[in-house]
Formats: sequence, structure tokens, C-alpha cells
Amino acid sequence: ASSSTDSPASPGSVSILVDSRCISGAVELLTSLRQRHAAAVLVCSLDASYFIVSNRMAVEKLSQSDLAAMPNRKRLADRVNSLQRLFERVCLIVEKDRTKAGEASRPFQRTRYYDSMLAALVRSGIRLLWSDCAEETAALLVELSRVELRKGHGIAVPLEVKGQRREQALQLYSSLPSVNYAQALNLSHNFRTIAQLVNSSVEAIQKGGCMSRIRAEEIYRFLRYSCDSFLIKTSKAGKTS
Amino acid sequence: MEAKPCDLMTAAPPYGHVLCSEKWTDSALVRALRGGGLKILFEKELHVADFLLPNKSSILYVSECDIIAGSSYKRKLVRYRNASNSFQELVLVERTGLSEQYFSALQRFVVLELGLPLLPVGGQAEASQLISQMIQADGRENIFRKSSCRLLDPLVLTLVQQIPGVGRVKALTLLQNFSSIQQLCSAAPEELEPMVGQTLAQQIHSFFH
Repeated sequence: ASSSTDSPASPGSVSILVDSRCISGAVELLTSLRQRHAAAVLVCSLDASYFIVSNRMAVEKLSQSDLAAMPNRKRLADRVNSLQRLFERVCLIVEKDRTKAGEASRPFQRTRYYDSMLAALVRSGIRLLWSDCAEETAALLVELSRVELRKGHGIAVPLEVKGQRREQALQLYSSLPSVNYAQALNLSHNFRTIAQLVNSSVEAIQKGGCMSRIRAEEIYRFLRYSCDSFLIKTSKAGKTS
Repeated sequence: MEAKPCDLMTAAPPYGHVLCSEKWTDSALVRALRGGGLKILFEKELHVADFLLPNKSSILYVSECDIIAGSSYKRKLVRYRNASNSFQELVLVERTGLSEQYFSALQRFVVLELGLPLLPVGGQAEASQLISQMIQADGRENIFRKSSCRLLDPLVLTLVQQIPGVGRVKALTLLQNFSSIQQLCSAAPEELEPMVGQTLAQQIHSFFH
């Protein structure tokens, strides 16, 4: 089973999770990740289009014109905020807009709005990286993943779980509050049963999920949280991510 | 100008002011900042930084010349990173036709190796506009702020619905009898049976164990 291409192979090779929504616009990027950089890539269904490069870091890709367009403001803020809930580190790769064949490239017009967005992003601790093309974005993803690996936050478990039961458990772990997909993967590989996780100490959750102490404590409390059935009934169901 | 550098580093300039390193005195950047209504204060030596802003940001400016001239700016970047203070650090890099070829390597060094935020600017005019926005943004609420806490009850309900065979109605019934996930998880099949029937009770129990 260790021969699977989507398992972390040799030390130094990196694992990257990609949301299925990224695929349509990023064939070049995925090809480059797999072929040029020999990264283990798993396309999966995350709750928005982004990449996971370590147990704690998500990377969102954005074109420069999307960042500069004022109507996108609210949507971008929502996406970034939901990533900040799930990940300790959030990185934004701003990619230069592609020019279509035959079209002259127009110089980018820097507006006050654009600068105010940059100021707000830097202020809130979002890491920004600048890329000229899909090829460079792939290289940056791999390097981010390497840096995270070096710091001990790399995804060390296989990117896939085998069997229906494990898949269902993975789904359940993903719906724990503030648990990202990489941590859910860790939990499903490191705990034999859900009951084992439920009855674990904070330390064991922290270790098994490869997550921070704060997050592990949050899970520990959540599993013991006593619901008020009146509150549940009156609230709208569904994950507010 | 008698103050020691370490004293300077702890104090941010008052609102509407920018504290600049003296080497910027006659620059286009400072003229543009003045034109934008900001007041400029100069200090002979701002430790390593070029600008200090009222919102406790410090900026290091890497010019086209620095980049083309070679590696001495790298030492400056390292010193800037190591000068631990309470300011939020930011590196502005002049990304121009001439410095373009070095940008990618510089970005790797600044962001990936040193872990400092980097913003490219086309020149001093763009930099002054960005700095003005950084100062003005201070008065506004940041849209990228980390969100506060949420109500846990609906999240518990969502999680219980991840159990195969359990929809919203059954999840609500279960939670009325076992109010936490831990309680539900440790319930025996016989205890679950009155709520969801024998088959599902067995399934739920084996799903957890």
C-alpha cells in the first residue's frame, strides 16, 4: 500500500491537498505540482477553493485583478476569515493576470482601494506572495510546503483513507469546529475509533491531530459540550463556515 | 537628537505623522506624503527601518538600486528582522523593469526565509500612496479580522448528522436524550433503541466503536 503515489514518498517530498473547485482553472498548476515538483497531490472536497500545504497552513490563489476589484471585497473577506478559523497560517498568492493570445498586456492600475486591501491583509497577518504565472505559483506552493515540513508541520499521514467506515469518520472529524481537513486526516489515521478520540485527553488529541494546544482544548470541550435542545431547535441547521 | 535608538523604537509617531529616516529628506516619496496631508518627522537613525507609522508599523524600503547593487541589502533585511520590537514589520520592494529579474529570488528570501511580509511597489510614488492608505486604514475596522466565537449548539447538531443514517430529526431526538457527543458516544445500543429503533441503534454504536 505504501507504493501509492498519493502517500508522502521520500523524505523531502511534499504533500499538498487541493480543493476540487481549483481544478478547472488550474490544470497547468496541478500538472506542474505533480510532474515538475513530484509533490503528492490529492484533489479533495474542501469547503472552498484553496490549497492545504501543511497541518496548519492554507493557501488561497487570487488574480491581481480580483484583488483590485471592489465588488469582490466582501466575498474575499468571508473566504479569508473562514480560513483563519481553520488554519493558524493563511497565505494568499496573488497571480498576475493572464493576457489572452493577441491581446496587448495592459499595465496594472494601482488604485487606493487596492492599496487599502493590501494594508488590511498585511495588518491581519495574512502572508502575501506574488506570482507571475501558474508555473511560479506551483513552485511557491511547493516551497511553502517545504518550509512547513522543515518546521515540523508537514502532513505526515497518507492523504487518503481506505474503507467506507474511515471515510465516514473523516467526514465527521471535518465537521468538528476549527478542525481543518489535514488535521481531520491526522485524526482518522491516528485514532482507531471515534470513541477513542472522544475519550482522549487534550494531549492525545493535540498529538493525534497534529494541532495546537488551543485547538485540541477546543475539541475536547466541544465533545463534552452539553447542548440546549431548545437552542438547537430554534437555530438554523447547517455548518456556518 | 540625543535619544538612543532603542528609545525611538518603542514610540510610534502621533496620528497623521510619519517618522522617516533622515536619508529620505529630499525624496519624491516624502514630498508625495506631504502632498497627501501627512506630517513628516525625521530621525537621524531609525535603527534599520526607513519609516515608522502611527499604527505601530515599521517599513523597510528596498529600492531598485539596492537590488541591482547586490547583496548588502540582504544583511540589512536580516538586521531588520532581528531588531525585535513591538512594531509590525513590512518590506516594500521596488519592482521595476530593471529589478524584475531579481524579484522572485528576493521574495523567496524575504517571505519564505525571513518570514517578513513583502509588498511590491512600482516606485516612490506608489509607495507613498500605499503608506497613506496604511495610515488611513488605521482608523477603519479591518475586514480581515479574526472572527469571534460562535454558538456551539448548531455545530453539535451538524456533527451528529454526520453519523450514517441520522438526519436532522433523528439527530434532534438523540440530542434531547444525550446532550453531548461524549454521552451519545458512550450510550449502549439498548439506550439508543427507544429513539431510533434497533437496527440504527446498533449501527450508531458500531460507528463510534
